[in-house]
Amino acid sequence: MTDNALLLGALATPLIGAILALLSARSNQTQRAIGVATGGIAWMFAAGLLAQVHEYGVQTYALGGWQPPYGIVLVADALGALFAFMVTTIMVAGLLYTYHCHDKCMTYPAFVPLFLLMEVGLVGAMLTGDLFTLFISMELMVLASVSLTAISDDQFGLEAALKYILISSMGTLFLLLGIAAMYATLGTLNMAEIAQTLLTGERPFLAPAAALMLLCAFLLKSAVFPFHFWQPDFHTTAPTPISAMLSSIVVKVGVYGIFRLVTLLFIEEAFLLERLLGVLGVIGIVFGSLGALRTYNAKRMLAYSTFAQIGFILVGIGWGNTLALVGAIVYAFNHAFIKSALLMLMGVVASYTKIKTADFAHVRGLGTKLPPLLGWLVLLGGLSLAGVPPLNGFISKLALIQGGVDNGDWANLIIVVAAGILTLMYMIRAWQQIFQQAPLPSTTETKPVGDSMVAPFLLISICLLLGTIFAEPLVQLISETVRQMMNPQIYIAGVGLGNGG
Amino acid sequence: MIEFMFALAIGILFGIGVFQLLRRDLIKAAIGFAILFSAINLFFVAAGAFEGESPPYLSNVQAGRPTSDPLVQALILTAIVVSFGSFSLVLGIVNIISKRYDTVDSNDVTQLKH
Repeated sequence: MTDNALLLGALATPLIGAILALLSARSNQTQRAIGVATGGIAWMFAAGLLAQVHEYGVQTYALGGWQPPYGIVLVADALGALFAFMVTTIMVAGLLYTYHCHDKCMTYPAFVPLFLLMEVGLVGAMLTGDLFTLFISMELMVLASVSLTAISDDQFGLEAALKYILISSMGTLFLLLGIAAMYATLGTLNMAEIAQTLLTGERPFLAPAAALMLLCAFLLKSAVFPFHFWQPDFHTTAPTPISAMLSSIVVKVGVYGIFRLVTLLFIEEAFLLERLLGVLGVIGIVFGSLGALRTYNAKRMLAYSTFAQIGFILVGIGWGNTLALVGAIVYAFNHAFIKSALLMLMGVVASYTKIKTADFAHVRGLGTKLPPLLGWLVLLGGLSLAGVPPLNGFISKLALIQGGVDNGDWANLIIVVAAGILTLMYMIRAWQQIFQQAPLPSTTETKPVGDSMVAPFLLISICLLLGTIFAEPLVQLISETVRQMMNPQIYIAGVGLGNGG
Repeated sequence: MIEFMFALAIGILFGIGVFQLLRRDLIKAAIGFAILFSAINLFFVAAGAFEGESPPYLSNVQAGRPTSDPLVQALILTAIVVSFGSFSLVLGIVNIISKRYDTVDSNDVTQLKH
């Protein structure tokens, strides 16, 4: 087993960038430039890693030279590398948005370092092969995102941050408790070794309890039904680039954890977990879509929409067959691009208002005074979210529905298809409110310059490309990923344990 | 006997922690959060502490005496640092909230309504 330095690069680059940005706290412009550069380098590492994983199989890096299962090991299998690639790509867009943003909180010297630390947490959670390191990474991500929301320009950011840190710390505590239970019964924290032990059919009596605790922690991180109530507040009040990250990739950490639970760690219990996830997903779809329909704030509407979209992914995991898992991962991948682009676009709209808000009462008709490109981008994003061809949302819906047809679960399939119409309704309503209606007297006063729309423009372009030219490579890549996920021996042997080790 | 006392202590700390976390007073909730974290750290220690009586020194291991597991102690050192970080962040947020809202009663910190 050889060490692959790309893994360390993807993880260490944002960390070094955060330190450099903190050192250059005097010049805000330098900090932002360091942020974009670091994000770009980390993206290159992650892209290289994704290519290598698909060429040569699972890549590992034993930290400090301690070989698994004794040392901490970084592992990039097909799923981890794909999610790390997704995270770093969206992060580049977020940092680009920060570069041209006029929010007051962006001028604080801690903003860019915290942003980069959030990236360290995200990438770390997806590339680690060790449960305790997963806990550390998730806690790092939570602390960074809470601090970023607490300093938001929105005066309610503080309250949302308090709400989130209390509930999320509770989730982290349960994660730690689950990890402790695993260690008490299995004597290891290495995910490959745990998987290997549990595959032999041995069932220590704390293992199912540990599975449920880990599941609760992951559900809480991705704001699924019984644990969702903090999510709309937190995602609405965060600064624009942060809420774009929270709603697109931070919730995917929980989804990633659930994928790991049902395909690597607890394969025998997976059937029960999947039944539960399917039900929670359907509840999420219905309540999230209806919640998005009744809100009067564009950012809040998108936060509720995330609640619904995570539901689609969970229903895909709940169906559990190969096609449905492909659908779920394609959905998770595409949703990250669409949702971050839409939240950034709404942030651009809000940045033109006198008091920065995306409330429909303040932004109604505002779009008629803005560049027409903005309106087209919002419309494209909305259609993509609803799954209208030829955008990438259609590919994800199609893949998911194929999985459902294969599974024969018609009741849930009808809900999934019908919820697509609800998505179309609330997105078109938001577009009409902002870009079609006559401006209100209160919206006559606008700021002359708003945020730049380079980052959302790039993201929407990627959405278009993913839906057309790159649709087939993407689906093939993810089919290959799922093929590797369905065989946990590949992961175990890749870490150097199991039969090959 | 010591195992039983340990389990009892963890249980009591868990109870107190959850009760405090659900209080209306935000400072008490923050303290409950710290207590809960100590309970889980103790649980982690208990996972490896009773494998042997002697401390995990190399001389003891070489002499073949059963030692306690050193890994859990290294792990909870990290967990204590993490809990300290998040506890201080919670207290910092509560501090600013107490200045901005003039109260730490969570029933009055409810401006976030739509």
